[in-house]
Amino acid sequence: MAAKKKVKSRAKTLGGATKPRAGGRRAQNKREIRERIVRAALGLFQTKGFDATTTKAIARRAGIAEGTVFNYFKSKDDIALHFFEQEVDQAMAAVRENPRLRKAPLEEKLFALVHSQLEYLAHHERFIGTALIEALKPASPLGAFSHRAQELRHRYLGFIEELIEESAPTRRRSPLTFFAPEVFWIYYLGVLLYWLNDTSAGKQNTLAFLDRSLHVGVSMLKRGWL
Amino acid sequence: MSSEKNTPTRRALGLASMGAGIAGSYLGYILQRAFLGEAESQAKLKSAHARAARKMRDEMQALRGPAMKLGQMLSLQAGVLPDEALAELASLQMKAPGMHPSLVRVQIKQSLGGDPEEVFKEFTPEPFAAASLGQVHRAVTREGEQVAVKVQYPGIRQAIANDFKLFRAVSQPAQASGHVPRAAIDEMEQQILAETDYRRETENIEFFGKQLAPLPFVRVPRVLLAYSSDRVLTMSLMRGQHLEDFLAARPSQKLRTQLGANLFELYYFQVLQVGALHADPHWGNYLLQPNAGIGLVDFGCAKYLRPETVGYLRSVFLYPGPTDSADFRRLLEDNYRHTGRKLQPATRRALISFADNFYRKVYPPEPNKQQPFDFGDREFLADYLRESKNLLRTKGVMTEYIFIARAEMGLYHTLHRLKARVPTSAIVRKYL
Repeated sequence: MAAKKKVKSRAKTLGGATKPRAGGRRAQNKREIRERIVRAALGLFQTKGFDATTTKAIARRAGIAEGTVFNYFKSKDDIALHFFEQEVDQAMAAVRENPRLRKAPLEEKLFALVHSQLEYLAHHERFIGTALIEALKPASPLGAFSHRAQELRHRYLGFIEELIEESAPTRRRSPLTFFAPEVFWIYYLGVLLYWLNDTSAGKQNTLAFLDRSLHVGVSMLKRGWL
Repeated sequence: MSSEKNTPTRRALGLASMGAGIAGSYLGYILQRAFLGEAESQAKLKSAHARAARKMRDEMQALRGPAMKLGQMLSLQAGVLPDEALAELASLQMKAPGMHPSLVRVQIKQSLGGDPEEVFKEFTPEPFAAASLGQVHRAVTREGEQVAVKVQYPGIRQAIANDFKLFRAVSQPAQASGHVPRAAIDEMEQQILAETDYRRETENIEFFGKQLAPLPFVRVPRVLLAYSSDRVLTMSLMRGQHLEDFLAARPSQKLRTQLGANLFELYYFQVLQVGALHADPHWGNYLLQPNAGIGLVDFGCAKYLRPETVGYLRSVFLYPGPTDSADFRRLLEDNYRHTGRKLQPATRRALISFADNFYRKVYPPEPNKQQPFDFGDREFLADYLRESKNLLRTKGVMTEYIFIARAEMGLYHTLHRLKARVPTSAIVRKYL
């Protein structure tokens, strides 16, 4: 559902002239080109680094004119943000659409959510590392003050809150309860850092860390310590 | 839930153990789970009025895992635990933290290259048993064979290594005084880390499958290599009941005695004939069958003995002469010489006392005294523990014997629970 909504809103920002009909050939074409640009950009972010990558290089790698890139994205930050939006949307969908998780405990749902995010980010470690730093710059579109990044975070944290509500509606509240989703956001950034620096085979240590910390976090939440 | 559960001390303790748990300590994680586990803390509250020894044992039970093996060794020497609890500890299970189905899926996908339902025809997401360092799931292979799939908890190797780092640091004084021999810690770490490698376990299973074939009452599983990796181990499904369930069905004295004799023979066949030992003696590793058969599972902890050790054991078991003779003394001294150590007089005295006050009673060497030994009598356990403590106090024990002793104590405790009457000497004599 979230994914559909996103496509609509994007169509609006791209101008009414190209309003796509679902399943139309033009729309299909546009989706393909957008994907090509994103894939080219990610490849370059990973090999050359985010800062050293130009839109020109992205266009060349995607096999299109540089101007065409701007028909789809305002800047390379825009491409990065698009990638993160997809990451979050597919992870939320992975949890929502998985019948196995319907009755799972909260820690398992959160585990599935974060793990599918990490799976999506796999092979882009270098870029994620830069993006984390980039996001700290106040003026960056990836940063906390950018409208779109904020909207993405709200959507994500709203989903977290939904998961908490449906799993522990009668938990004991503390003055901190209000901040639980915000705490989760900081936690998520911590997991990302741990994952980026995890050199164990198959990132097994991250799995252990994720499992352990979620178990503790959820227990604290249910006890009203959070 | 209740207010007394949430005192500041409890909370501080909880937070501290949580910190340790997240920081990648296996021990810390077990502590943390024990603290947070609703069901378990309820059980703890209930037992609060039970006898002190029992409470202590409950606490130790929460300390399953590598730490428990270490704790066991330490407490045996320091005498901090009641004797009965020690015997029970030997047969307690090393248990890994539980994994939820999503984590199991990730582990299987990483190891076998597909989701459980893709790899197997059927896969039960709930585990049916806890294993050392992981858990076991039932499944059916594409070929239709019923199997047990052992899945390892992620990052366990690192966590155990961390625990040992910590343990080495805190046990410095004990190491300096010789109460905890450094070599013993190294040996423990090696053994436990070896358990995390399922490929090594596969080799163990194949080894024991071949070596134990002469014993008709023992079953060893078969490894399905196509469904296994270093973190996932798929074996043919074994039948049988754990000791508790087996006893709950009130088996006859005849069956208990037959089973006891089989367990006893299995142990001595391994030590004296094969020269290698399934060295994790907790009950969950023995599946008892109604025809007195034994299904062996979990071969993570196998101890391969040196030929000199086996030779020594064969020569001292059922030693017919007096234990204060020069000949017996020479046997003991020779054994120590193999390892490049000298047998200290105190250790020698303790060994002789062990032979006189325990082995001669339980394993009478005289061929005319052949009535079965009644393991239901608890005095023999007290004898065993007292003599073990004496021996350990002399600091002259070779590390190899720590594993033998652990398995032996586990055996005795199981035989005691079975109240089995076993023709001890007659069975041992078969393999001398």
